[in-house]
Amino acid sequence: MRDWTCPFCPLLCDDITTIVHGDGALDAPDVDCPRLTHALTWFSGPSASQPAIDDQDTDLESAVQRAVEILKGASRPLFGGLATDVAGARALYPLAAGCGAILDHLHGDAMAASTAALQDRGAFFTTLSEVRARADLLVVFACQPSVSYPRFYERVLGATEHARDLIFVGCEVDPAADIVENTSTHSILKDADPYDILAIWSALTEGTDGRTAASICGDTGIAHALVDLAERVNAARYALVVYEPAALPGPHAALLIEAVNRIVKTVNRTTRAGALALGGDDGALSVNQAVTWLSGFPLRTRVSMPTRLAQEPPLDHDPMRYRTQRLLAALEVNALLWIASFRPEPLPPNLADNVPVIVLGHPAMRAMLGARTAPTVFIPVATPGVDSGGHLFRVDGSVVAPLSAARASALPTVAAIAARLSGLLDSRSLP
Amino acid sequence: MSLTRLRGGTLYDPANGANAERRDLYMRDGRLVAAEPGASIDHDFDAAGMIVMAGGIDLHSHIGGGKTNLSRLLLPEDHRGSGAEGGGEQPINGRYLRLPSCGVCTPGTLATGYRYAEMGYTAAFEPAMMPSNARHTHLEMGDTPIIDHGAYVMLGNDELFLQLLAERDSFERLRDYVGWTMHASKALGVKVVNPGGISAFKFNQRSLNVDEQHVHYGITPRDVLRTLSRALSELGVPHPLHVHASNLGVPGNIDSTIATMDAADGLPIHLTHIQFHSYGVEGPRKFSSGARTIADAVNARPNVSIDVGQIIFGQTVTASGDTMMQFRNAPLGSPKKWIVGDIECDAGCGIVPFRYREQSYVNALQWIIGLEIFLLIDDPWRVSMTTDHPNGGPFTSYPHLIRLLMDKGFRDEQLAKLNPEAQVASALPELTREFSLYDIAIITRAGPARLLGLKDRGHLGVGAAADIAVYRDEADKERMFTSPAYVFKDGQLVARDGTLVATPTGGIHYVSPAFDRGIEKTLRAYGAANLVGNPVHAAISDDEICTCCRGGRLLPVACRLPS
Repeated sequence: MRDWTCPFCPLLCDDITTIVHGDGALDAPDVDCPRLTHALTWFSGPSASQPAIDDQDTDLESAVQRAVEILKGASRPLFGGLATDVAGARALYPLAAGCGAILDHLHGDAMAASTAALQDRGAFFTTLSEVRARADLLVVFACQPSVSYPRFYERVLGATEHARDLIFVGCEVDPAADIVENTSTHSILKDADPYDILAIWSALTEGTDGRTAASICGDTGIAHALVDLAERVNAARYALVVYEPAALPGPHAALLIEAVNRIVKTVNRTTRAGALALGGDDGALSVNQAVTWLSGFPLRTRVSMPTRLAQEPPLDHDPMRYRTQRLLAALEVNALLWIASFRPEPLPPNLADNVPVIVLGHPAMRAMLGARTAPTVFIPVATPGVDSGGHLFRVDGSVVAPLSAARASALPTVAAIAARLSGLLDSRSLP
Repeated sequence: MSLTRLRGGTLYDPANGANAERRDLYMRDGRLVAAEPGASIDHDFDAAGMIVMAGGIDLHSHIGGGKTNLSRLLLPEDHRGSGAEGGGEQPINGRYLRLPSCGVCTPGTLATGYRYAEMGYTAAFEPAMMPSNARHTHLEMGDTPIIDHGAYVMLGNDELFLQLLAERDSFERLRDYVGWTMHASKALGVKVVNPGGISAFKFNQRSLNVDEQHVHYGITPRDVLRTLSRALSELGVPHPLHVHASNLGVPGNIDSTIATMDAADGLPIHLTHIQFHSYGVEGPRKFSSGARTIADAVNARPNVSIDVGQIIFGQTVTASGDTMMQFRNAPLGSPKKWIVGDIECDAGCGIVPFRYREQSYVNALQWIIGLEIFLLIDDPWRVSMTTDHPNGGPFTSYPHLIRLLMDKGFRDEQLAKLNPEAQVASALPELTREFSLYDIAIITRAGPARLLGLKDRGHLGVGAAADIAVYRDEADKERMFTSPAYVFKDGQLVARDGTLVATPTGGIHYVSPAFDRGIEKTLRAYGAANLVGNPVHAAISDDEICTCCRGGRLLPVACRLPS
């Protein structure tokens, strides 16, 4: 299959040729991407896998019925993981409304940091094609893009004529950047504190008003390096600052994200620049977008059920309170619907053994569940872009890629199962 | 299929010349049908004493896509505590008729569809869909229940168009490119925002007048406007080029607004949210109403249509493709947080929250200018009622705006609350015109339908879609237009006395103009060199659009055949 779109990272590379073997195994021999190669090992055999109830094989109908019983019996369910596509999110939303669920994603912490910075101060962003066509200076802040996004440099900068400078700030040079031609790379301040770097860089960008850099931050190495950086950004035609929310030191990464965007906003008063966040893996960006447009609120929102108490709001967004790890540790939820359609994803740590669980997951998850005290339902689902079509948001948030099934599969989609569950949940109060 | 009668209502149906005509309406299979003597009536609705109009059509409302969702993300405070009003979330048989969805100026898509329908609107059109963001836009519109929808695709700031124009490539190829883009993005029209200006901002140009050169390509906004309006005319696209003119918000922009009208060389052109482009520089504050100049210009140019973009006092958010002007205006915003982005060599977006205040001279004058434009343009068929939702104010302000237009006493009362200097600078007290129900029916449904080429919408003739709003005749027009007695969508009762009773899926209006597929070779070569995405995935197929739109009906709009 030519021009296949890879669903396994938010770069959504759409130039891949895949080979489907007789047993359903997938191969992409022409692409040098360790992340894809690893992902394809999860699809090395037939997709068949039985649904299970409490570790015993069962049929889909029985599994769905048992799942509905779990949801009906739970006053405060959590829909976690949420590794699915736009169609999955669209179908899970009415189900959440039907049973009063809280919605959070596998990468909820990184998403919440980006969301908080955006909600408080806004952003100045750019997208991959703008970088490709325009950026002559790339500042990579405190991350190594190729670790999580192996084809980042090839896809964004490859096969272009532009001369570009790549400056790695607060980190080592990413060795993978070498593949880009006409590019110089160097690293500054690789061991400096990222908060200090951004504070001083921000002050310098605001303008020193005749004062020396030393009067702002002392006559230190960090000051000299950042004066030079600020000058280079100012001299650039179009500068990019790229960062990775999940790679920033927590738990207050929002402050760093705010600072990066503040610097970029300031730079734009005189020249042009944009920021690019690398993240939103495993459907995080897609589900966050879809839940935001449907409800008005991003993830970490509780959708109340129809029978809610009068004083309860229909929607409650609280990024601190509705964090998966906290909810599970504090025993604040009494059922977990765990969605992991891209790869087998272990159940979250802190999950008490007596909390009922429904897994809509990659077939290989069956083996990971084992025996639990509480009722546990497993329903294998299709992987978008492998077993079914679908839509995912690309890393920069502006482009939605259409996915096509790479192989024939009988597995149901997350959307199909969620719709079945909604239908059965709805029928509970009918005569 | 069953026959429904709407009995004894008073019809305002300007497309068919019906002005307060008392007549029964019949619906079957979602359409208006002629009376069928002897046929049994399955559903009968009493509309005696009530006002009957076609469903409302909003031809410019930012209801879906990247910048709309970023606006939602930016303003959680707009959503907290805003979803419980009306009690609409009350369950029926333990299930929601309307799902939880909240927000005032940036409501969720679900709340957007519900509220439009409750007000008697049955269609709304997203005016700023970037080609690269088309799928996202259609996904959001597909999740906007009940109402039909469609979008205008943004061109004239994309690097390929500007490159071809700068290279003086043949007009035919540019026209084919416009046709291909509409086809690929399933668009109903084409919009240009600050022609060339969004691109120029990427090259660090900070202003661009109609005859000024783009710093990189050397072309002018006039070249862009002329080429795009000619392309749409030759492609037979019913909706004229939809133009967000140069210099939005800049005092003295009346000159460039009129130059923009003339750049179409007499071809049809639609100037959107013209209120923001009608500012003079008279008076001590160097900011004055240019409404009369603009209205005179529109009155003298039959090829020009407009929508107003009325501002409404209170908190809202401006979401626009015009990065050049949004960046410039960001310091004026409130609260102090904003988003600007450059997007995919296509265009960009800028999101700046605004709080329009009655005591602000500038805001008060903006409010006055909008109303002056409504009242000074003679031909209501060329004026559509909009607040440029949410940029001037949320669409839920429409009933209030209708009252301002219909009720001179109410208008004077509101004017008296405003900044005194602005009141003095206003011609509003002398404008005695009051819109009739017939006028309102033109600017809110018949006119927009005609401007969009929707032949079976916006009117109540036999064969039209049975999209109908039935209002109780009340002296307080704001109340009257807030909660219609009945709203029908394709013949199905969807709201009764302002409360939803059904939530069907809306359809999508789009055009499929004819073009030479040879243009795809140019697109492939350009894409390979400049874009990160693979061009083979650019076009949205019919099957895919059905998925995006949740299986809503495809409502293709015919292009005129070349004469």
